[in-house]
Amino acid sequence: MVRFRDSWRNLLRITSVRIIVQTVMFGLFVTLAVLNTFAALDRLPGLRLWLSKFLEVDPLIAVATALATRRVYPALLWSLVILIPTLFLGRFFCNWICPYGALHQFVGWLFGRSPRGRTDSGVPVAIERNRYRRWQRVKYGILIALLVAAACGSVQVGLLDPLCLLHRSVTTAVAPAVNMSVPGWWGAPRLYAGAWLIGGVLLGLVVANVWYPRFFCRVLCPLGALLGLLSRFAWWRIERDAERCSGCDRCRLHCEGACDPHARLRQAECFVCFNCIEECPEGGLRFAFFPSRAHAIPGPDLSRRQLIFAGLTGLLFYPLARTTGRATRDFSSTVIRPPGAREELEFLERCVKCGQCMKVCPTNVLQPAWFESGLEGLWTPVLNFRIGHCQLHCTACGQVCPTGAIQPLPVDRKLGLGQYADLGPLRLGTAHIDVNRCLPHSAGIPCQVCEEVCPTSPKAIQVGRRQRRRRGRGGGAGEQDDGPPVPVVDITRCIGCGLCEKECPVVGDRRGVYVTAEGESRSQHHPDRDRNRSVRLPGASSASD
Amino acid sequence: MGSDRLTRRECLARGAGAVLAAGLAGAGGYWLRERSTDAHDAARGQPPSLVLRDYFAPVTPPPDAPRISVAIADGGQFEALVRAAVGGLDRELGMRRFVGAGDVVLIKPNVGFDRPPAMGATTHPELVRWVVRLCRAAGAREVLIADHPIESPEACFARSGIARVAGEEGARIVLAASRHFTRVSARWGSGQRVLEDWPVFVEPLRRATKLIGIAPVKDHNLSRASITLKNWYGLLGGRRNQLHQAIHEVISDLAVLFSPTLVIADGTRVMLANGPTGGRSTDVRPGGMLGRPVVVAATDPVACDAWCYENLLGRDPAELTYLGLARRKVAAAAATGRCGFGESDWRVYDRRRLIVTTNV
Repeated sequence: MVRFRDSWRNLLRITSVRIIVQTVMFGLFVTLAVLNTFAALDRLPGLRLWLSKFLEVDPLIAVATALATRRVYPALLWSLVILIPTLFLGRFFCNWICPYGALHQFVGWLFGRSPRGRTDSGVPVAIERNRYRRWQRVKYGILIALLVAAACGSVQVGLLDPLCLLHRSVTTAVAPAVNMSVPGWWGAPRLYAGAWLIGGVLLGLVVANVWYPRFFCRVLCPLGALLGLLSRFAWWRIERDAERCSGCDRCRLHCEGACDPHARLRQAECFVCFNCIEECPEGGLRFAFFPSRAHAIPGPDLSRRQLIFAGLTGLLFYPLARTTGRATRDFSSTVIRPPGAREELEFLERCVKCGQCMKVCPTNVLQPAWFESGLEGLWTPVLNFRIGHCQLHCTACGQVCPTGAIQPLPVDRKLGLGQYADLGPLRLGTAHIDVNRCLPHSAGIPCQVCEEVCPTSPKAIQVGRRQRRRRGRGGGAGEQDDGPPVPVVDITRCIGCGLCEKECPVVGDRRGVYVTAEGESRSQHHPDRDRNRSVRLPGASSASD
Repeated sequence: MGSDRLTRRECLARGAGAVLAAGLAGAGGYWLRERSTDAHDAARGQPPSLVLRDYFAPVTPPPDAPRISVAIADGGQFEALVRAAVGGLDRELGMRRFVGAGDVVLIKPNVGFDRPPAMGATTHPELVRWVVRLCRAAGAREVLIADHPIESPEACFARSGIARVAGEEGARIVLAASRHFTRVSARWGSGQRVLEDWPVFVEPLRRATKLIGIAPVKDHNLSRASITLKNWYGLLGGRRNQLHQAIHEVISDLAVLFSPTLVIADGTRVMLANGPTGGRSTDVRPGGMLGRPVVVAATDPVACDAWCYENLLGRDPAELTYLGLARRKVAAAAATGRCGFGESDWRVYDRRRLIVTTNV
């Protein structure tokens, strides 16, 4: 009985409540990640409001994209749900809501070494490793650099933002890995370019907990840094009663944030995990309303010189990344963006590399980019038509994009139907026939798969009799060839969906028909931008001569 | 704890700090929120692109004077040719009819290629010199010279000799920077426009009160001829290599996009073949088929091009597609009060004796 009562009381402890909340949040994250498929979205269209909620409440995404675009994407107003309570309560997000934080804590708890022995000064190592370390200021530098780069127009927060990082890793590495071990459990088998690196980063950061508890959260996390800065005015925080404190340092034994509750509390580091309050044998710590400043250091441990250095790093990143020209004049036409993606420079102001679009894509065509779109474009979505194609009636990627880098367009808008008829269909690029590889063109072997699968009506690829090229032998120029009919692309009709490239039986890395980004709609209304080397001049089709 | 206690002042400051920050975050987020998630809607809400000034409109002749539209001068040195051509448009006032005290004149020569003057690919620098001098004499406050060639602008201006002349005559060359381009529309009258919302080198145009185009008369591989209308192409920005897909639509759009004070066709060396770049002295002949140096000044660029095409290049204007399109577009624009320079058909002018020829 006694035992039962004790366990019941344990359940009501605030740390137990916290663990329950964390578990629920992590479960919610996994549930949404599992549900983030085209099939689920198709069955329950209302899901689109929830699938990216963890990203939408992320204040770092909201702040960075707002700095870049000077606007707040409507869904990102949800970040106020985290941002405003943080102003009053401190970094509660890190140890209550963040699924990545929960993962780190759990792994550290399960696999962490429980070090024995004492340091030279006689403090047990288990306690000493939760002391505040100067390394922890690194995250503020990362935050400042990322925000300065964002203000210049290059949003890179997604590289290290915990929610972007976790979403991306789960989509491209964890889910496919689970699928390989338990086929069919987590969606269809998937391929993701560079998944080894994305998964490797996740693995490395998670395993780091074994030696350095919550290494990512304490040292690297730019979201944690932002929330730490916001907790400056917090009305509630940990307060130590110096008269009761016996100096036993037990408060640090399970301190998650390494915020030094045994001395002057580093307010910006505290995760509000309540472990120190639970742990204190003297009852000398409490979560106090308007505690004295004397016991706390409100701001981060960052000198002005370090702040300026971090800012300059971000400021330099932008010219270094842009000068390579991959986003502008020296762009690669293999960088084909999802339907509804904004014009490239606007796209780079928004995309946070979270991979939600890649997860929901029914054909797996969306892939994390490597460096083909420049340093800035790492892990942004590009279409790979060897893996999939863009399905005609699907706009799922835009429905789940948390920042509007891919706009949530209705299907009619994508296809240019109904009220959007005057805009015409969205074009991702243009297909080209490689006459040296196409079977009927080059070898006289009959094949018209590309024409058959072309989904536009009328078809953008049609076959016709080839005109004889050589004069002399047999007949004159213009006489019809006796070989099989050959496919020809009508660039005024092609929407660049890539189905022809995907299905082409010429299986080399350059198919008999392939799509490039030329003619993409998103650049069409930007005649001053370099990516718009349109093969299709608006209005030129009906021009005379 | 005693002295550690939070003072009332501190307490209020911190309380207010958090509330203020929360309020700012909420209000800022609400204020900056995007109204539409479709960039196309956002673009639709933006103000329409710039409409270039009508540089012809303020130049109205006395009502009783004949409105000479095309004035041709042939057979002399540059000074005499320019004076005779401009003087032909208005015997009494000459350049003073077009340029007054305090005007800022923008001269648009064709400096499209890195070629010496003798090759005929660019406007002759002496022609520019005498136009600058006439403008100054008429009271112009400042003379600007601008072009946006494909090749390095500095090299083109230097090789063409126009940079030297500009320096000697005190005219200012405006070289293009990306911030100098603004989207411009050619939406006048009805009918199709290719140049809707196209970036144009607007910076010098914004500052100028008068606009004079001076263009060499050249053969052109795609559009057949590059004279005064094609000359405006040099002020376009963006991916203008795309415009060749609809070259006649584009050149005829230029006829209404730019409404110049006057244009001058440089027939001192006419490129008869291998245009628009040329490159051999045998491609070029003074005065073209006419055989002696010609300078044509005109208030009506369409008629000017037609006259030069027929008389200097020696070809049939009926085959020049952009002329017909331009005539239609100018008429439509004139109905809305722009480009009110006239008939655009030089034979009509000729019958009405609105073309004068001066032998120098």
